[in-house]
Amino acid sequence: MIYQTGKNMTDRFTRLTTMTSQLRRDVVNSIYYAGDGHPGPCMSIADIIAVLYFDILRIEPDVPLWDKRDRFILSKGHACPVLYAALARKGYFPPSELKTLRMLGSRLQGHPVQKATPGIDATSGSLGHGLPQGCGMALAARRRGDDSLTFVLTGDGELNEGIVWEAAMTIAKYKLHNLIAIVDNNGIQSGGKVDQISGLVQLPEKWRAFGWYVVEIDGHNIEQLTMAFENVAKRGRATREEREGMFIVPGLEPPDPDQPVVFIAHTIKGKGIPYMEGNNAWHKRVPTDEEQKLAMSILGGLDLE
Amino acid sequence: MQGLDALAEKDERIMLVCADSLLAMRATDFVAKHPDRYIEVGIAEQNAAATAAGLAIEGLIPYFATYAGFITMRACEQVRTFIAYPNLNVKLVGVNGGIAAGEREGVTHQFFEDIGILRTIANVTILVPADADQARQAAIAAASIPGPVYIRLGSGRDPVVFEKETPFIPGKINILSEKGNDIALFGNGVLLLRIFEAAKLLEQKGIGVTVVEVHTVKPIDIEGVTNVLKKCGAAVTAEDHNIIGGLGSAIMEVAAENCPVPIARIGLRDKFPGSGKPDELLDYYEMRVSDIVKAAETTIKRKIQKVIRH
Repeated sequence: MIYQTGKNMTDRFTRLTTMTSQLRRDVVNSIYYAGDGHPGPCMSIADIIAVLYFDILRIEPDVPLWDKRDRFILSKGHACPVLYAALARKGYFPPSELKTLRMLGSRLQGHPVQKATPGIDATSGSLGHGLPQGCGMALAARRRGDDSLTFVLTGDGELNEGIVWEAAMTIAKYKLHNLIAIVDNNGIQSGGKVDQISGLVQLPEKWRAFGWYVVEIDGHNIEQLTMAFENVAKRGRATREEREGMFIVPGLEPPDPDQPVVFIAHTIKGKGIPYMEGNNAWHKRVPTDEEQKLAMSILGGLDLE
Repeated sequence: MQGLDALAEKDERIMLVCADSLLAMRATDFVAKHPDRYIEVGIAEQNAAATAAGLAIEGLIPYFATYAGFITMRACEQVRTFIAYPNLNVKLVGVNGGIAAGEREGVTHQFFEDIGILRTIANVTILVPADADQARQAAIAAASIPGPVYIRLGSGRDPVVFEKETPFIPGKINILSEKGNDIALFGNGVLLLRIFEAAKLLEQKGIGVTVVEVHTVKPIDIEGVTNVLKKCGAAVTAEDHNIIGGLGSAIMEVAAENCPVPIARIGLRDKFPGSGKPDELLDYYEMRVSDIVKAAETTIKRKIQKVIRH
């Protein structure tokens, strides 16, 4: 894959990479303070979240319900600590609030709740519900006639749920090119490997059979993510005429102008913290004092303000 | 669905979400007039409910209409977590509520647990209009009630209970007659006609009856129900629903906390019914006029015994 490079681009990627470490530190610390949470599933999407929130999404943290904003739904709601971190660092609420995760009276519920937290566009956590809600939101955007986009980030484990494929059908039927799905394909769900637990195999073929345009991507490559998301966002806001022949990734056949796009992001559960990487014990676990310290030294910072 | 038609003319936010239920909902006219207001997801009720949630998040007012059980059972979690919890403005319209409405289809299409299920979910308003014209008004009224509203309907071939244009006012009990206070008969839906018959027979026997329609099962009109219970001191409830969880339970809860008096419940007695003609079914499953009359007489006796014991 060849992209334009240069100093500006390098600065852009460096800035985003710095942010990914910030978000990962915030995740470890908020779960450490909460004494509960899912660090592994946060780490696999930290890079995707950083790119979306700090480069791609058209949002106004001061006006969380701005009509023309892009919507984002974290369908794998258990990974919300990383989303809360992004919202805090973006300015939706003070980062100090991250320490209140999962506590009585906190705006940072154990799973995301629409209306409870500024910047949370939809309730999620019971798996499989990001796509159908996103479907309704993208239909509404089309009805409003504005060019706001709806991004839905789902896990791969949650693709076990039938409702995901019900929604995949509807989104393709209504040609919702303004909805963009991203699958966090880390290959591991709560109980073990996705293919072994559920028999879910041949993901790209499945999405294609449902009428979607599939882009496989390295979910930890900031440059790849940034350029591909930039293209998909441009396409999402374009008129049908403009979408004709518009590519997502150079060198790949472009999608049909009416097709919805799904990214299958190859990721590693626990990415960024070696003792968590690929180790499903960290699907849901709290770091000890030593593990918290170790994570901070690996991620280059403290942030225990 | 005529109500929805009129609403859509006035309110840009009204949408219809179907799960291949357009024909069952008799909504083809609506779609002919407002094709852009109609979202069809196919036979996928969970998806329909969650898609409706997405529309409502964005400020639209979707009516998700299909069979009562497919909303309240198959899509129960979507209704609970994604519509009721965020208190979204989704209106749920369920047909085939009760055993009479499902009639010859059998248990798969007879839904007599719907009200019980939804009563346990916070934020949901439950309306049980008595006939087609009341349903039309209920659909219009629902748009002005903030948050999720469930409108329980019958088969669409249901008997007429009230004269056309009889006002439907959600939230309050509807006292239909007060010809005495020996017993109160509370009911809703298709059972109202049988209650009227029972009331006549009881009056012929010299028993004073107060007849009350409770079309808003949740939030129940606590004050209204309590006042009737205080006056009558005994009651019978009658509904086409399992005796557990529905109107009977709701009235008993109000009574137990506010005015404990003897009450008997008429309804499906916690069993699975089967196919049959609507009236045959109601008779066979102990929702006869005579069942109501007998329950009233027995309950009045319990009231008298209580007085004597004091």
